[in-house]
Amino acid sequence: MVLKRIGIDVGGTFTDVVLIEEDGRVHTAKVPTTPANRVIGAIAGFRRILEVAGCAPDEIGFIGHGSTMATNMVVEGTGAPTALLATQGFRDLLELRRIARHDRADLYDLQFDNPKPLVPRRWRYEVPERLDWRGNVVQAPDEAALADIAARIARSGVEAVAIAFLHAQVNPAHEQRAAEILRAALPNLFITCSHEVNPQQGEYERTSTTVMNAMLGPVCARYIGAFGDGLAAEGFRGELLFMGSNGGLAEAETVAARPVLLLESGPAGGVSAAMRLAEATGRQDAILGDMGGTTFDVSLIREGRPELRTQALLHSYAVRTPSIDIDSIGAGGGSIAWVDAGGGVRIGPQSAGADPGPACYGRGGTRPTVTDCNLLLGHIDAETFLEGSFRLDRAAAEAAVGEHLARPLNLGVLDAAQAVRAVANALMAQSMRLLTVERGYDPRGFDYLCYGGAGPVHAIDLARELEMPRVVVPPAPGLFSALGMVLADRQVDRQAAVERTLDAVDAAWLEDRYAALEAEVVLGLPRDPGIPRSVRRRLDCRYAGQPDSILIDLPSHDPAAIRAAFEEAHRRLWNFTKPDQPVLLNNIRVEARAETGWRGPLRFAEPIAAPAPWRRRQVAMKGVMQDLPVWRRRDLPTGFSLSGPAVVEEASSNLVLGPGDRAEIAQGSLLVVTLAPAEAA
Amino acid sequence: MDIVTYEILRSSLYATAREMKLAMMRTAGSPIVHSGGDASAAVFDAEMQLVAQGNDIPTMLGSAVISTKASVEAIGRDRLRPGDVIVSNDVYLGGGNHQPDVQFTRPVFVDDDIVAFVMTRGHWTDIGGQVPGSYTTLTWDVFAEGIRIPPVLLYRDDKPVEDLMTVILQNTRDPSVRLLDIQSQYAGCVVGDRRIAAIARRHGPAALAEAMRRALDHSERLMREAIRAIPDGVYEAEDELEPVAGPPGWPTAPIPLRVKVTKSGDAIHFDYAGTGAQTRGGINCPLSVTCNSTWFTVKAITDVSIPINQGCYRPVTIAAPEGSVVNCAFPASVVAGNTETSPRIIDLLFRALAPAVPERVVGQSNCGAFSGLFGGMDPDEARVTATGRRYVGVIDPHAGGMGARATKDGVNGVRVYVGNAGSTSVEIIEQTSPLTVQEWSLVPDTGGAGEWRGGLASRRVYRVGYEEATFTACGERGIHPPLGQFGGAAGSTFRCEVRRGDDVTLVPAKGPHEIVQTGDVVLLQPAGAGGYGDPLRRDRQRLLDDLKDGYVTPEALTRDYLLSPADAANLMAAADG
Repeated sequence: MVLKRIGIDVGGTFTDVVLIEEDGRVHTAKVPTTPANRVIGAIAGFRRILEVAGCAPDEIGFIGHGSTMATNMVVEGTGAPTALLATQGFRDLLELRRIARHDRADLYDLQFDNPKPLVPRRWRYEVPERLDWRGNVVQAPDEAALADIAARIARSGVEAVAIAFLHAQVNPAHEQRAAEILRAALPNLFITCSHEVNPQQGEYERTSTTVMNAMLGPVCARYIGAFGDGLAAEGFRGELLFMGSNGGLAEAETVAARPVLLLESGPAGGVSAAMRLAEATGRQDAILGDMGGTTFDVSLIREGRPELRTQALLHSYAVRTPSIDIDSIGAGGGSIAWVDAGGGVRIGPQSAGADPGPACYGRGGTRPTVTDCNLLLGHIDAETFLEGSFRLDRAAAEAAVGEHLARPLNLGVLDAAQAVRAVANALMAQSMRLLTVERGYDPRGFDYLCYGGAGPVHAIDLARELEMPRVVVPPAPGLFSALGMVLADRQVDRQAAVERTLDAVDAAWLEDRYAALEAEVVLGLPRDPGIPRSVRRRLDCRYAGQPDSILIDLPSHDPAAIRAAFEEAHRRLWNFTKPDQPVLLNNIRVEARAETGWRGPLRFAEPIAAPAPWRRRQVAMKGVMQDLPVWRRRDLPTGFSLSGPAVVEEASSNLVLGPGDRAEIAQGSLLVVTLAPAEAA
Repeated sequence: MDIVTYEILRSSLYATAREMKLAMMRTAGSPIVHSGGDASAAVFDAEMQLVAQGNDIPTMLGSAVISTKASVEAIGRDRLRPGDVIVSNDVYLGGGNHQPDVQFTRPVFVDDDIVAFVMTRGHWTDIGGQVPGSYTTLTWDVFAEGIRIPPVLLYRDDKPVEDLMTVILQNTRDPSVRLLDIQSQYAGCVVGDRRIAAIARRHGPAALAEAMRRALDHSERLMREAIRAIPDGVYEAEDELEPVAGPPGWPTAPIPLRVKVTKSGDAIHFDYAGTGAQTRGGINCPLSVTCNSTWFTVKAITDVSIPINQGCYRPVTIAAPEGSVVNCAFPASVVAGNTETSPRIIDLLFRALAPAVPERVVGQSNCGAFSGLFGGMDPDEARVTATGRRYVGVIDPHAGGMGARATKDGVNGVRVYVGNAGSTSVEIIEQTSPLTVQEWSLVPDTGGAGEWRGGLASRRVYRVGYEEATFTACGERGIHPPLGQFGGAAGSTFRCEVRRGDDVTLVPAKGPHEIVQTGDVVLLQPAGAGGYGDPLRRDRQRLLDDLKDGYVTPEALTRDYLLSPADAANLMAAADG
């Protein structure tokens, strides 16, 4: 049976590790990430957690692993040298993209650059071949040309090849033949086809996704191999699974073939943990806010499930893969605050990052950041940051805020810091609003679940701004993503292009299509019949003539019911329907899950039976410094409650309760804050 | 008002514009709106001053400064009620930029008072007129360009005014798609109305008004500071506009473009005196378009980070002679003034301002905001049955080059300046229309040589599957190539061909439409873009990379980059190695 379980989350600055024992006891550790070779830090984290928990490596049955590695490779352009095979006449579509400048920061900027093409033009090859939009062969692939291309690729130093032909989502035969020829000629290269990676209409997005998969392939395979070997050398004999963007865990083999599934691997961990919390506590609807050093990531769970999206722009590159719907804005603790020439307060896009970091880190940063302002306002404490292991320099923060904010604004240092905090709150609240209101949901019906190192610091203000009734802080919010990697289930997603109007679909045919997909997905799940499984059938629909589909659950196989479900979603999103317009069924999707995640209790260090504030300190409330009692989160037992104004101290942040706010330690070691009604606040 | 409240209100106005645009794009019927994003949204204060806009289409937003005021004044503020939406497209009656861009304007009420206006504007792919797609330049006057909609109420009490809706829909060739477009623009307005009203209720209408006023003043102050940094002086330039190719008797002389820019202290004045009279054909600019091109240029050469709103335009004054091609009078036709002449005005201004801000200007660009339109009946019965649509219009924005910059190459295959519509997916074009796309690629040597190379043009080649269809080309720089800056060479000109068997017809950038039939092939290639700086100063490694990537051909080494034959041979050998 499963023994102890470990979650390892390799972030940009820290590698977080969580270990859960058979009885639910939880241990945590944080070690520095080693950017040059992230395996080193991850293995160090493994060793450290064994020390902390006093365990031997062979007691560990399972490791769930997530990493920002894939994302970093895209951002830093450090993927493998990659070639692209495209239909004749179309090798440049990767560079031309959609020709517009929507992802540009500013429309009036004449100095903008498009993102560097993922494949340089010299490595983009054209293959004489053509299908029509129904998938009929217009011209068969020219095999001599393919052999010639293979020979050129062999001389080029390329390590990966993406094959993306027009209409391959309707008929994969040409891509399959091309792959066959290339694999025979180039056995050591990573070769990937668009009909496998993203069988969906839209040649630019499909090509971009496939190319990204190719460029990640060789490097991820090396990483996965090295990490597995490293763990084995440490004596680990259990199962190693990887966190996918969809919030589920997958086998090494699967992610090695589809590394594009790893692009949101890190943030997905937090969302998985949130799902499990929802299951355990019945809190089914929550907005999730993950605030780290450089970004604020917002996502949503509704009826206990994360919202998924099927398309995103990553660092200006289109990528289409089922992924937790996360909106990320550059308003992390390290974002730099500044005053423009007109006297306006702005935040970012520049960030002090981890190095030099905020001025208060005392590593040479001189520009004021959001963290510096929070420190001055008492929302972060200089002495207890990271449990006192990292002392913050208040004087440096004061100097930075004074020089760059207070002076130009002609305000006192505290007022300037307050202004920055308010602007940061406004940016974050907007992002939360976009993710709910814009999708037709009312945030007032949601809990605000905050995590990440800095998550609690702004939580109360954000919830108040959106009129949300409750703030929930999970145990160990700074390691929540790593915790999610132990709690997550196995999950496999598949999709297939349909592209038919609903009139042309009948129930039996649809059942066959879904059954075929399901037969594929279950192969990716564990065989053990004792593990409960669930399959969710979903589909993408749109009105004929619209571009964007809406992802809905399959209500039944009856086309009329599908239409009704689509129109209900359309009305919720856009406030109208068009009853006489044909509806297109674009894609069918299945999400298959096996309940392998830890569902037992989570037990943290024993709290004190009769806790009391351990000290008092000054915190800004509505712009005025007040002396407040400080409670240590780890001292508070289940069932204990306290009222604001007060501070609850976490390892890396603080939660400042206002008058009338009430905090309670609920089941599962959750800290639940019920906000005072608006009038009282 | 404290700075905190102000910043919260200000940023929520921009977020509102963004939400409105998203609502439109996700629900529109026309590919150019939903995939291309040829739509815009903005928020105005109660006095119809633009206070926030999305990251959309500059030409739609600048002109909305004029058209929103015109729309509200035409109806009369006092007659407006909650749930109203004003529709308008006409440049003469409603201050529009050109007839295909249709504006919806909605008052935002809190209790009995108007606290703001919101507007959405979308490009309708057909508004009637003489040729399918409503984008031909060969028109006698504005009546030939399609339905003229003066500012009138299209919604009252959030219900469509059915009779008017019927008149509008029956004046377009694809009413079912148009209805989706209309509903999407309405949805955008409703989203904006709700958000702004919620903000006003939360913080109070007076606070909203004050924040709006401060936002305008703030941007004005920033813009004045930025303008102050430009050296004082008088800067002049001239250029020529290509006339529309027409039948005998049609004007054929190039139209002079002239500007005199006077920069003094924190203000800048643009005088277009000397520019030619308005002309026959749809290349005239209404004043709103000329203002927008001018404002765009000022914003682009100063500080792009200044929050964009009408306050940015206060330090800018513009004199454009009435009845000229940059301030045309009724009933001159205008369709391509907005998309083709407008970027030419910007290139003219860059030419004038190059001595003042050499590091900020760019080589001239392709300036064709639009390129190809097809319209006709779909012969694919299965598709017609599935979609319920017999007439199929295709409007496909194309990508030319953007000019080289002082420290970097131009951009390949991109929409430039005031336009920003995206292309439609090849797979969607083929699925939804009787066209096959045979090629879409970058064309080597179309970017002007220079120390920094101009951006390359792209080429799209279609095979026609309609039994019979109209094909309209609309581009710019068919004759005048995009020139370089500071010694950079010119990029290529616009090219369009219709091939019927072995017969090749060269189609002018602006002129009559062609009739195409099954099997005909249409090639469309916008202009490239000008280089920046002397080609002899081009870094050899960059030249080598360009050669390896096929952005320049071996022939260009001696011809355009003026290498000696020996140097060229060395470079070619290096590229092969």
